[in-house]
Amino acid sequence: MRRLTIAVSVVVALYAQAIPHAQSRSDFSGTWRLSQTKSSRAVVGNTPDIQFASQLEVKQTPTDISGVATSIRQQPMSATYKLDGSRVNVQAPEGITETGEAKLSADSLVISSRRSFSSPAGDIVVDFKEVWTVTGNELTIEKTRSQSGESSTQKAVYDKI
Amino acid sequence: MRVLPAFVIFLGILLATATLQAHHSFSATYDGNKPITLRGTIVKMGWQNPHAHLYVDVKNADGKVVTWEVESAGPTTLMKQGLRKEDFVGAEVIIKGFLAKDGTPTVNASSFTLVESKKEFVNDEKTP
Repeated sequence: MRRLTIAVSVVVALYAQAIPHAQSRSDFSGTWRLSQTKSSRAVVGNTPDIQFASQLEVKQTPTDISGVATSIRQQPMSATYKLDGSRVNVQAPEGITETGEAKLSADSLVISSRRSFSSPAGDIVVDFKEVWTVTGNELTIEKTRSQSGESSTQKAVYDKI
Repeated sequence: MRVLPAFVIFLGILLATATLQAHHSFSATYDGNKPITLRGTIVKMGWQNPHAHLYVDVKNADGKVVTWEVESAGPTTLMKQGLRKEDFVGAEVIIKGFLAKDGTPTVNASSFTLVESKKEFVNDEKTP
């Protein structure tokens, strides 16, 4: 009887540990399309300050998350981020260098990246911070663009397709 | 008498071509992957349809001044937001936009802000 009680206790303890672990990470995998109706006009209007991808292809594993961003007005960009937060190179169009890192917490994914390219004004450096949250079949991305001491933030909503 | 209608048709074709050239697509001219923020002084204003153009002197890190051509919303859109042509030549401005693909100092402004009044003007024509 004592052995049974111990065995049940161990099982319960293991199960109790497994639940928060399973719940601790959101899953962003899937194909996501920018919602024209759920996103604000500042995002889907003509030439917004912050460009969002029209579509995102995301694959998530326990150790990394990879994504391909495609857009009407931008060339595709892709990256595989390590979920330990280490810095990786983003596959960017010619003439653009970008590195980034991702951190996955209980309910969000935070991607921080730095893009650089040359221009008639000299070398340009732009910092981006994206906070991803998923609720059911809806992905919300809050994106901040910082450059030359100026920054702006916009929020876009994607539907899973 | 036959010369006049032919001349009118020729003139019409010329005008239509000019309008089409002015109203180009964003992706044909600008790079959506290259956002840029500029701060400078407006030296000239091109107040024509379909896009108003600002000419802005911007000082580079090395001190050299470069005049940028900034494509903005049309005059009607800007006027609806309270901007007048004579309001701001000589004014300091912060421009947020996207760099031209051809490497020239040309930018498509998503917004610009007059530094003194802090008034922001946005290119909010809805994308079709």
